[in-house]
Amino acid sequence: MSKLEKIHVVWLPGQACTGCTVSFLNATHPSVLDLLTGFIPQAAGVTLDYHATIMLPCGGEGLGAVKAAEKGELGPFVLVLEGAIPDEAIAKKSGGYWCVIGENEDGKPVTFNERLDRLARNAVAIVAAGTCASFGGIPSGRPNPTGAKGALDYFGRNWKSALGIPIVNVPGCPTMGEHLAETLAHVVLSVRGYLPLPDLDKEHRPKWLFGHTAHENCPRAGLFGDGKNSHEFGEPYCMGLLGCKGPISHCDIPKRGYVDGVGGCPSVGSPCIGCTQPGFPDRPYSPFLQKAPASFFVMEKIHSIPGSLEAVWGRIKETLVGRDI
Amino acid sequence: MSRIEGHLGIQAIADIEKKVYVEAHSFGTMFRGLEIILKNREPADAIWITQRTCGVCPTPHGLAAAMAVDMAYEALAPPMGVLLRNLLYGAEQLYDAAFGCFVLEGPDYSQMVVEKRNPNWWQAAKKEKAPHADLHGYDSIADIMTGLNPFSGSLWVRSLGVEKLGRKMASLLGGKHPHVNTLIPGGMAKTLSPTDLEQYAAMLSHHVAFAKEFVPIMNDLLDFVLSMGYEDAGLRKTNLISYGAYDDPYAYTAKYEDLADQGLKRKLLPGIVVNGELVTQDLVEINVGVREFIDRSYYSDWAVSLVDEDPKGNPIDGKHPWNKDTKPAPAAYKDWCSKYSWGSSPRWVDWKKRGDGSAHALEAGPISRMWVTAKAKNVPESTGSSLKYTLPKATVTGYKVADETEFEWKIPEKINTVERVRARVHYYAYSAYVVFGQLLQALDLVKQGRAKVWNKYKKPRDGMGVGMIEAMRGALAHWVVMKRGHIQNYQIMTPTTWNAGPRLSDTDLGPYEDAIVGTPITEAGDITGVDVVRVIRSFDPCLACCIQVYEGDRKILHVPMV
Repeated sequence: MSKLEKIHVVWLPGQACTGCTVSFLNATHPSVLDLLTGFIPQAAGVTLDYHATIMLPCGGEGLGAVKAAEKGELGPFVLVLEGAIPDEAIAKKSGGYWCVIGENEDGKPVTFNERLDRLARNAVAIVAAGTCASFGGIPSGRPNPTGAKGALDYFGRNWKSALGIPIVNVPGCPTMGEHLAETLAHVVLSVRGYLPLPDLDKEHRPKWLFGHTAHENCPRAGLFGDGKNSHEFGEPYCMGLLGCKGPISHCDIPKRGYVDGVGGCPSVGSPCIGCTQPGFPDRPYSPFLQKAPASFFVMEKIHSIPGSLEAVWGRIKETLVGRDI
Repeated sequence: MSRIEGHLGIQAIADIEKKVYVEAHSFGTMFRGLEIILKNREPADAIWITQRTCGVCPTPHGLAAAMAVDMAYEALAPPMGVLLRNLLYGAEQLYDAAFGCFVLEGPDYSQMVVEKRNPNWWQAAKKEKAPHADLHGYDSIADIMTGLNPFSGSLWVRSLGVEKLGRKMASLLGGKHPHVNTLIPGGMAKTLSPTDLEQYAAMLSHHVAFAKEFVPIMNDLLDFVLSMGYEDAGLRKTNLISYGAYDDPYAYTAKYEDLADQGLKRKLLPGIVVNGELVTQDLVEINVGVREFIDRSYYSDWAVSLVDEDPKGNPIDGKHPWNKDTKPAPAAYKDWCSKYSWGSSPRWVDWKKRGDGSAHALEAGPISRMWVTAKAKNVPESTGSSLKYTLPKATVTGYKVADETEFEWKIPEKINTVERVRARVHYYAYSAYVVFGQLLQALDLVKQGRAKVWNKYKKPRDGMGVGMIEAMRGALAHWVVMKRGHIQNYQIMTPTTWNAGPRLSDTDLGPYEDAIVGTPITEAGDITGVDVVRVIRSFDPCLACCIQVYEGDRKILHVPMV
């Protein structure tokens, strides 16, 4: 365990917009500073060694941490990916590149993919921050001109780190700050053996964050159950008829808000666009203002029948035979 | 290069004898192809997809797309819809200006960098009393520099909270931020409640209070940096572009025919400045003059023109974005004689021959919009040579100044590194001022019972549109051509496209390249490129960047961003 006293974080941007970075700074409980100052002793000793947007490598370090990590000289590190992974073979056909991060000692450009391959060999875990890194996201939207894909497709679903940890996806466009902060903390605790591995769904998303749909987590879902739909934007009812994809998207943001509890897409009156899903931004998630397939609503109504009957029967039973708790 | 958004490379050549940079190339090193992905989609989807151009400044993309799509759909947002868009936009500006000044650029002037790279500055800073210490509590310039140290400095850490508050305001009205979710054709998808405006006001009061300390802190720091002989760093001719922002809720009609009037009624004004002269403020004239060249960029030329003239009958050039077709053609790395960047080279052509009638590489940014707004006298705060505005009283725990405070931003004689940063600082305070006014207007609409946020529209089969606004980093425009209800062409020209673009010839450099040439080397010891970095970061680039410096003998030093 001693060699895991210090855990480094290397944050590598590919085909990214930096939205996941900014969103990470939204995290409140825990915040980025909380993570790095390690209030819980088991989670202490985490350092952010490379992050192109917010670091200050004072004294000519630059890509130093990345290069050390590539050679296995940094110590145990968690690789955080932001952005999609392009298919450099397409660009190479015309002698070019899609995404370059720095150069080798000989001055030759190093693609993001090359760095990723080198880093993945040594990382104790890979956390894909956001939908691009997880599933390809926006750059992979049809016709996917750069052949972009997410980590799961790039490395394969069976990929495991040297410590036996699978890729952990924290999708969202961008990833929600606390989703990522909580997951990183969980991964650090798992790596050190204080917690079991995060329980993941089939898309490698932590179940405690993505186990239910946005619709199930929506404060307006009760209104839907009551048959109240918004017909114009601005109305306070279910957004289903205005294009909400909540029933087919896994996300807890409608419930927990976005920054410090404030916001939440359908909660404020805007349709969920399915940004946490593999396949986003293509069908059935777009067109974004087009209604989600009716089958999901029909299925929900059918599924609700036993529960509704149980609710009625429970009350009748109480009247007939008294309380059972 | 670090502490900027995205992937950017700069290669500079220095004359070591004369201690000055003599040559520079700026190149973007990443491509995603959003404009290609947008083809054949529902035009409205551009509002969401184009925000993903940039996670640092998504809202202006969403707004530019919403305006372009409003125009194509003939969908008119009601006054409250326009005001909510302005409030959402303003919330992002408040976060982004502070983020730029502290997290991205501030560390260049922090103790950790200055003590090492400019030891003579550090010695002087320790002795130099901060002139406005009574307003902000930092006794010396060195104290301010220490406050800017990342992860530990008091200003840096405090700024994280202020920035987050801006994004929280945006989440309140936008559902989330980055990438707000409530912008739609015809207005806003927001269920507005009294709680929203009150929460918004409460959070805005923090920004107002912070601005009253932030402006004097940065003025003290920047005056000191200038006094250390930094006037020529990043110096460039006064060639500027601004599209303006904050639409008047009644002047916004979503019609191209009304675009000129709409622009002149904004709180931040549109304008083109060539050689220090305000050439035009007409958004239609500005739009028609835009060109995008790909001579030095990894794209193939295009042949077909989709649009011959705009809805007013003005001629649309084949190089205008309405006609541009994005055709990626990846090619060799750093081939300075040929194509070397994923960025393109925008120019503005003086097609009405108000000046010399030629094409100009214009600079976008807070300094451009502040300059135009201060000069043009379209708003009462403009004096012709400055912007004068008074921030309201705001009593907030933890801040020193509660009283009403007047600020004045004066048009600087020179456009250089220091003045770009100073304009961004004042832009933060001016944003808080403008947003406060927008909030009062929104409350007034509620009182009148006009709180409707969205109008129904009937989407036509064909259409075209343009949305022009100021992103944090400057002029941003989107162009759409709709055929049979789908996107036939969509083009995005960001402020960093204007600023970071590669040269067209050795006498027609992109603004970054131009600004680096002539920048003095001030650092002690080995050349690490800190002066180049400060120049580039003063533009607040929206790309991630890796800098190398060639010394006179062509020896390459890898210079990480400090």
